[in-house]
Amino acid sequence: MALLEVESVNAFYGRIQALRGISIEVDKGEVVALIGSNGAGKTTTLRTISGLMHPQSGTVRFDGRDITRTGPSKIVEMGICQSPEGRRLFPRMTVVDNLFMGAYTRNDKPGIATDMDRVFTLFPRLKERRTQIAGTLSGGEQQMLAMGRALMASPKLLMLDEPSLGLAPILIETIFSIVREINAQGVPVLLVEQNASKALEVAHRAYVLETGSIVMTGTGKEVAASEDVQKAYLGI
Amino acid sequence: MGGISVPDSGFYIISAIAIVLLGAQAVSHPAAFIQISIFGIADGAMYALVALGYTMVYGIIELINFAHGDVFTMGAYIGTAILGFFAVNENSFTTINLVALLLVFPVVMLIMGAINIGIERVAYRPLRNAPRLAPLITAIGMSFVLEGVMFLWHGPATVHVPDLLPHGPGFQTKIGGVFVGFKDVFVVVTAVILVSLLAVFINRTRLGKAMRATAQDRDAAQLMGIDINRTIAATFFIGALLAGAGGMIWGLYYNNIFYNLGFRTGLVAFTSAVFGGIGNIPGAAIGGLLIGLISAYSDYYIGSKWTEVVIFGILIGVLVFRPTGLLGMRVPDK
Repeated sequence: MALLEVESVNAFYGRIQALRGISIEVDKGEVVALIGSNGAGKTTTLRTISGLMHPQSGTVRFDGRDITRTGPSKIVEMGICQSPEGRRLFPRMTVVDNLFMGAYTRNDKPGIATDMDRVFTLFPRLKERRTQIAGTLSGGEQQMLAMGRALMASPKLLMLDEPSLGLAPILIETIFSIVREINAQGVPVLLVEQNASKALEVAHRAYVLETGSIVMTGTGKEVAASEDVQKAYLGI
Repeated sequence: MGGISVPDSGFYIISAIAIVLLGAQAVSHPAAFIQISIFGIADGAMYALVALGYTMVYGIIELINFAHGDVFTMGAYIGTAILGFFAVNENSFTTINLVALLLVFPVVMLIMGAINIGIERVAYRPLRNAPRLAPLITAIGMSFVLEGVMFLWHGPATVHVPDLLPHGPGFQTKIGGVFVGFKDVFVVVTAVILVSLLAVFINRTRLGKAMRATAQDRDAAQLMGIDINRTIAATFFIGALLAGAGGMIWGLYYNNIFYNLGFRTGLVAFTSAVFGGIGNIPGAAIGGLLIGLISAYSDYYIGSKWTEVVIFGILIGVLVFRPTGLLGMRVPDK
């Protein structure tokens, strides 16, 4: 049984169907990439998992428990935390307060302090800027803070939505190497990316999403080797 | 932004003219000016307490809660009812007065907090995802309901609030021709204490930070595991604590209340919140103080019949020329 099991999920925005019977699994220790073009349903998939929206049919199970209809705050408590698309920091709060918000559902002060140190080790820049207001950070620093904030929940599953969006190439390298490092520390990652080549390099397995349906799945290498994917997403 | 725009310069010019005219009065008749300022500060402290509730609720759900002024009045009504249980002495300050005073504030505040949570639950939460006009209309409806309840309770006439604070010649000092009464000091000190507690709560506690986070990005707050229904309810609770205390203070200061007192006071407090920058908590406190001062100066120097023109002229002026208010918070662009 996988850690996260999304099974035949159909989801709608009003009358528009955004997800058409998609099924995804993430196992312990894995990095799983979800690639696809704009509007394919990647972010909707994450919103369905994190409980910000509920599917019309299908089930989402986490750690063996059905969370299809569970609210977002309960889901965070159960151990799924997301770094949302566009970072969505709390712009008028300091770096440290943003990180504390990430640990909102936790009560173990020593654990929170340990994780704060861990985040500062992963992202030394955030330590330098700990008292700065989040809205004044650079794009790369904001992305680091968004990821650090999600890590503060001490998640059993980390979901990253477009972590490389809008960043300079050198920063994209940094972000993906940090994704590897987080995974090496034992945190499974569900990675949503438009930057397919980078995502497929990091991912153990990948799903390709097209207009709400999964059109292909396999290991990162298999997907990257597919002609269709190369044409559509890798520009080869 | 960058530089001073034409509308901004209009704002600065009008402010500059007003300050120069007031400054001339302050120099020529300092005693009268200071006396008026004291009245203005006392009024402003009460407006600030109400304005904070407007601005906090707007900050978190972008709703102008028009029932908030009536929560303020109802605080005074319920407080007066509670004072009825005590044999307070209106002529001298007895121990019973002190006990009543220490008891009435927390009780009124908690009752109003509970009522406001109920209002949010009934009138606003079901409309959380409705177009923004819908909760605005239920807010106005809720205002009528509260006024109706108070009308049925005591009728259209003014209700006397026991004058239990120390007052009279023995409890005021004269400094250079200016009278400062115990009541003025009481109002300002109480308001300062409450606003300081609010600031500590908002900036230091876990729930306070969660409220700020929810105001800044509701979806992201949910993704952090924050239960936004709880933080929104907490915002209404705290807003009503301050409004209830404000109503009680108003009652004890003026000793007269009536069922639709909150209509005018609410609008003035709303103007204060807009003046300071709607959604901005320090802005509401400063805006309340300034509007209190401006209305006192207007009462004295221009004539009280013009005061509402002045205040609502400010409201229009701020909305037209400087919608972000004095403290210049970015207007939410949703």
